[in-house]
Amino acid sequence: MAKKILVTLYRDEVAPRFDLASEVLLVTVDAEGGEVRRQELVLAHASADDLCDLILDREVAVVITGGMEDEHYHYLRWKRLDVLDGVAGLAEDALARHLRGELESGDILFPRGRHE
Amino acid sequence: MDKTVATRAPLAPFLGLAASGLDRADLPRILRALPFGVAVLDQERRTLFLNSALERLTGYESAEVAGVPCRHVLRGSFCMHHCPPLACAKAGRAVCEAESREGTLINRHRRLVHVRLTSVPVLDREGGLLCTLDVIEDLSALKELEARLTRTAGPGAIVGRCSAMEHLLRILPAVAASDATVLLTGESGTGKDLLAEALHRASPRARESFVRVNATPMPEALLDMELFGQAGCGPDANAPRPGKFQLAQNGTIYLSEIADMPLAQQGRLLRLLDEKAVTPAGGERPMRLNVRVVAATGRDPEALVKAGLLRDDLFHRLNAVRLHLPPVRERGEDVQFLLTYFLGIYAAKFRKQMLGFTPEALSLLSAYDYPGNVRELRNLVEYAVMVCPGDMIGVDHLPPHVRYQQPGQAPQAEPAAEAARAKHARRR
Repeated sequence: MAKKILVTLYRDEVAPRFDLASEVLLVTVDAEGGEVRRQELVLAHASADDLCDLILDREVAVVITGGMEDEHYHYLRWKRLDVLDGVAGLAEDALARHLRGELESGDILFPRGRHE
Repeated sequence: MDKTVATRAPLAPFLGLAASGLDRADLPRILRALPFGVAVLDQERRTLFLNSALERLTGYESAEVAGVPCRHVLRGSFCMHHCPPLACAKAGRAVCEAESREGTLINRHRRLVHVRLTSVPVLDREGGLLCTLDVIEDLSALKELEARLTRTAGPGAIVGRCSAMEHLLRILPAVAASDATVLLTGESGTGKDLLAEALHRASPRARESFVRVNATPMPEALLDMELFGQAGCGPDANAPRPGKFQLAQNGTIYLSEIADMPLAQQGRLLRLLDEKAVTPAGGERPMRLNVRVVAATGRDPEALVKAGLLRDDLFHRLNAVRLHLPPVRERGEDVQFLLTYFLGIYAAKFRKQMLGFTPEALSLLSAYDYPGNVRELRNLVEYAVMVCPGDMIGVDHLPPHVRYQQPGQAPQAEPAAEAARAKHARRR
């Protein structure tokens, strides 16, 4: 069964904040995880409430985003969505990692400790 | 991972400490001890170091976010659209000046936190960017207090953005939370009464009474009874009459012009503050009182003491905490903010669509001295909104004493304006 995954965008990264994201990537994948459809949507304005409405309207199953307020997180969880928040990294990396079943909330995908 | 190694090594070269004599190992220790958040970022705004306060604020440990772009660590409202260094780069400047801005961040625990960010570029001798220090102050307590203070938005709310008012609002939570006696000073119309009420509302006594006393000249015996009560009065000698202090039991009493109080009552007030008890007129047994005292004066308290109008010992007792409300003429950028603020209030009140002030009107209003302070400014905007038939307040909609203040425009200024100016000049 196909499912929709929404990634909030800031340039080519996962948007650091859900409430300030003004672009999203909407990817539909089939039961095997193969990409069926891809859309980039530019929102009229950044709003966490409007984004929640969009997510529910489009029947999104998984949300991948950066920082998110408790209220919106629990609202979407209550609506039985998988919410992977606090993700820091490139959007494509995050999506690929999720499709491999390896992405969790709070994951930091950027290279780290480069100055050590 | 050894956090000390991970965070200590990169800082010294970035901060150019080689020749400073400061042991580079000291730097993280010093930064960690600071009571506000500090992030050290490289030239590309990747995180090098978070101090302890910022670790607590963001929920991230310094070592786990080393190398991560700061926007994914701070997650500030200013990061995605108004990042100061990115704005500089867009403007073609390699290095930008230190800049502060307020906003919010969402931390690891999904909590929205109000913060002030100050980005300070650290430069080498040639002016090249070594790193950036992002200083982040947690404004949660301040915002919470502001919300409580401005809960009654409207003409009676305390508003202000100038540094003096900002400082006042910043220290208010601590002052309100304490039980200290407070002396409010400031010219007439600056908002002493509002501030006294705000102090009470933000204090642990907020659910108890707030009693305002205007010690206008009246016979001393009557004032004594008014303030401290009477053990028994009238035909029913068993019916005691509570004074203002008894009415304020467990709450706050506000003495609106302390110097108007006769010296005898000032002496009783001093004893009351020391003993926390009062004996009503005609009574024998002192009554325990638990009252916070907030006093105010529109005049210079030291001068009042010298003039013998305010008891020296009472002044020192009241002066435990002194809050000064600046006059409008010293509030700089606040004038335009207050004009716009009251314009919104009165436009809503009179159900008018107002866009703002014409540049000429704004220029006159900005140059005006406001001897009556915020009260006068508020009334002036109310008048202008009332008389303005359109949606922009112009010079013609301002009261004559403001219109004619400009040199050259009013060779024969109106008496009211003259009087106001003369009064203002005398006060100076």
